[in-house]
Amino acid sequence: MRLGTVIGRVTLNKTIPQFAGGRWLLISPFTRDHFQRRRDPPTGLSKDFSLVAYDNLGGGLGDTVGFVEGREAAMPFAEPTPVDAINVAIIDDVFYLPGA
Amino acid sequence: MFLARVEGSVIATRKHPSFNGWRLIICQPVNAAGAAEGTPQVAIDPHGAGLHQRVIISSDGLATRKAVGDDHSPARWMIIAIVDEPESAAPSP
Repeated sequence: MRLGTVIGRVTLNKTIPQFAGGRWLLISPFTRDHFQRRRDPPTGLSKDFSLVAYDNLGGGLGDTVGFVEGREAAMPFAEPTPVDAINVAIIDDVFYLPGA
Repeated sequence: MFLARVEGSVIATRKHPSFNGWRLIICQPVNAAGAAEGTPQVAIDPHGAGLHQRVIISSDGLATRKAVGDDHSPARWMIIAIVDEPESAAPSP
């Protein structure tokens, strides 16, 4: 998974039934130069593209979340689902000490 | 699979239940010279890797699902090996 800040939400009008009850978060992913230390998320947006991820944990605006991309994002669903990114963790604390 | 350096860890209370009990480690992919390449990935750690140790991380979701024992786990990245090297702080013989 990668980490990122929730910068917005997406509300859908019509969806396929598998997505009923889910929410969608707009996430700005952290990069090496733009990463959270302890409980303080970095300010502003990172240089990486923001993305939309499915959420059933209840992530909110400003939260730091861990999201999984790729085939594994669809694994929690009971039936085959066209989802490419999913929020799997709401991050409380980050210990980050980049080395040389 | 990527060569990566352990650069931290994260704490999450609210998470997919398949991550319960697993260390979540921030792994920075590096090249052979040790320079960072790409964005840090968070991987589960069955081996107990230490800070700034070099590891191999794998994106094989099937193997990771088997490791966590949940066929519906979204887990993807896992530390599958720790690179054998002397600790940087150890005095040279």
